Amino acid sequence: MINRRHFLTTVAVGTASAAALAACGTGSSTSAGETGSAENPVTINYTWWGNDDRAERTRKAIALFEEKNPDIKVNGNFTDFAGYWQKRATEAAGGGLPDVMQWDLSYLRDYGQRNQLLDLGTVNINTDAFEKSLLPSGQIKGKTYGIPTSTNAFAVYYDPAKLASLGIAEPDGSWTYKEFNEFLSEVGAKSNGEIFGGTDYTGVWWMFNIWLRQNNIEAFTEDGKLGFTKDDMKKWWNQTAALRGTPAIVSEERVTQLAPKSPFGSNVTATEVTWDNFMAGYLADSGAKELKLAPVPSDDPDNLGLFLKPSMLMVASAKTKYKDAAARFIDFMVNDPEVGQIFKTSRGVPASKTQRDGTTFEGTDKLVVDYEKSIEQYLKDAPEPPIVGFGTLEASFKRVASDLNYGKLTIDGAADAWFKEAEDLIKQNA
Amino acid sequence: MTQSPTLSRRSSSSAPSQPRKSRQRGADARAGYTFLLPWLLGFIALTVGPMISSLYLSFTNYNLFEPPKWIGLDNYTTLFQDERFLQSVGVTVSYVVFGTPLKLAAALAVAMLLNSKRRGQGFYRSAFYAPSLIGASVSIAIVWKAMFGDAGPVDQGLSFFGINLGGWVGNPAMTMPMFILLTVWQFGAPMVIFLAGLKQIPADLYEAASMDGAGPVRKFLNITWPMLSPVIFFNLLMETIHAFQIFASAYIISNGEGGPAGSTLFYTLYLYLRGFSDFRMGYASAMAWLLVIVVGIITLIFFKTSKSWVHYSGDAK
Repeated sequence: MINRRHFLTTVAVGTASAAALAACGTGSSTSAGETGSAENPVTINYTWWGNDDRAERTRKAIALFEEKNPDIKVNGNFTDFAGYWQKRATEAAGGGLPDVMQWDLSYLRDYGQRNQLLDLGTVNINTDAFEKSLLPSGQIKGKTYGIPTSTNAFAVYYDPAKLASLGIAEPDGSWTYKEFNEFLSEVGAKSNGEIFGGTDYTGVWWMFNIWLRQNNIEAFTEDGKLGFTKDDMKKWWNQTAALRGTPAIVSEERVTQLAPKSPFGSNVTATEVTWDNFMAGYLADSGAKELKLAPVPSDDPDNLGLFLKPSMLMVASAKTKYKDAAARFIDFMVNDPEVGQIFKTSRGVPASKTQRDGTTFEGTDKLVVDYEKSIEQYLKDAPEPPIVGFGTLEASFKRVASDLNYGKLTIDGAADAWFKEAEDLIKQNA
Repeated sequence: MTQSPTLSRRSSSSAPSQPRKSRQRGADARAGYTFLLPWLLGFIALTVGPMISSLYLSFTNYNLFEPPKWIGLDNYTTLFQDERFLQSVGVTVSYVVFGTPLKLAAALAVAMLLNSKRRGQGFYRSAFYAPSLIGASVSIAIVWKAMFGDAGPVDQGLSFFGINLGGWVGNPAMTMPMFILLTVWQFGAPMVIFLAGLKQIPADLYEAASMDGAGPVRKFLNITWPMLSPVIFFNLLMETIHAFQIFASAYIISNGEGGPAGSTLFYTLYLYLRGFSDFRMGYASAMAWLLVIVVGIITLIFFKTSKSWVHYSGDAK
């Protein structure tokens, strides 16, 4: 046991430094007690993913928390989304997860079911102001591992200024896949390839999931198996088969080079299909004056397949020495109206009514809130925390779709490759 | 022009040694081991222990969180049906096969240019050596990525000459040449070793060859190469092993994904992804051990073949 721990710590430290991921320090405070005082505060570590925009907002929120809670210091740390999960895995293996973490639904089962996360039902966090339908998405088998900070929904972003300069009318709020594809092609054609229509939306897992729901298919069955077939997947990737390699879709070469920035945030495309809480990030990245949201395409106008998802959750490490301090910080981050004022919709629309009501939404933030109101009638139940290993499946979906766009795989080959990995993974975790 | 310095790796054994009393020898040995102790402890705790653990883990299904489950050789047999694994082998082998000889050729060529008495040689040696000090760093990988991007200096430079390749970073066909350039650029470390080796070659050999009318090519093939062969062998071995372990620059340039289209999915990067992204530490351990075995075999082959082309001074040949 000691040997293994030793080994993993070594490997973890070695690889992490080789990859030059600035190591996220584990609790350095030597205080044995669980609480601190103003003279002798405890330090908790908090880590999140995001861009510079979110870093600045988080810094403000932490400063505010420390001001209101002089007995707690918060040591913040962040990376981008992809590197985030590799760091958490190394830390979990070494037993040193940060005290409080921003979390994604995709990884809740991986860590929650494996006893890495604190059952937040055992500490004092006020959830009275939350929609009762939203809380279960942070729960597994009766235990609460995550508290949603906010909700988000899928949407089509577009830049009205770019469309106007090309003489293209703004979307009217309802479109089929065919109409959406034509729209993308029109942007590419009219801009002479200067601006692409969008990224290949069939490479986005959640859009695939929404399309499945539009066709009344659940992505995963109750017992953790795949709910769709290879043919469904091929059909989905065929949606944009005619668009790949044309100015309707940005080339994969560009996408790779721009990473980790998105093509939309880099002003290379006119649209992007993704979560509505990316608004603040896109505005900051692109420098655009205004960005707008339209609902996702659907061939059935009464079934958009949309749902509100917790855009992110707050979780604590099962091994934290400062449960009380961690709980107070989480409570503050999800409920405090002033935190709502700081983040606006950059984390999504605040999930807690207290926080939502205490936030004034103007301009683009209002657009996001209004968008979520406008699709209310189409919303369905949020999905349960996805299966163990879902984060890996989501990543390989993106990778296989990228290979498809590079022309390295055919649609059949891409579906075969993904299914092989998925079946292997489900067997592995069974 | 008297006794020339030898190139023998065992030159120290020819140093005058005095017979010592065995008691004194025992005390020496104890002192030696005492001084060695800190290193030895670290070696056992941080290298041998973890290696044994990983050997055990390579026969298990281990997800980092739950106790490992013994599955025998399954990890090893699965490897060869894993297309991504085979892809990572292909990528790594082409990097080693093309990158290492080019790097050594560059190192030897520059070392020979710098092996003469001219003003400012010290500066040039430092300048050529510098990249190998900083080459493996993260910042260089980031700079490299920017240089080879769309409209980066490389793209613009080539466009000026009418070669329009676009950005290399996003083009699966161009990422490997980019990585090979990155490693060739870091030729400083083997260069310094070559330089030291070149200084050991007695000048009278070249003088004698000149008298006999040998040209530069002849001198290189018949004097420099055989006299330098132990150093070439050493560099070839070290650089080959080193090349198999490329990780940091691949991780940075491909955002830790091995893209575009798997063209930078180096062996160690895939190992890392399997272990820390997919939580399959048993599988990753199996990959690590396979690499150890393969590198071991290659080293063995190098040593076997070295007899026919590596000449140590004092040998009969």
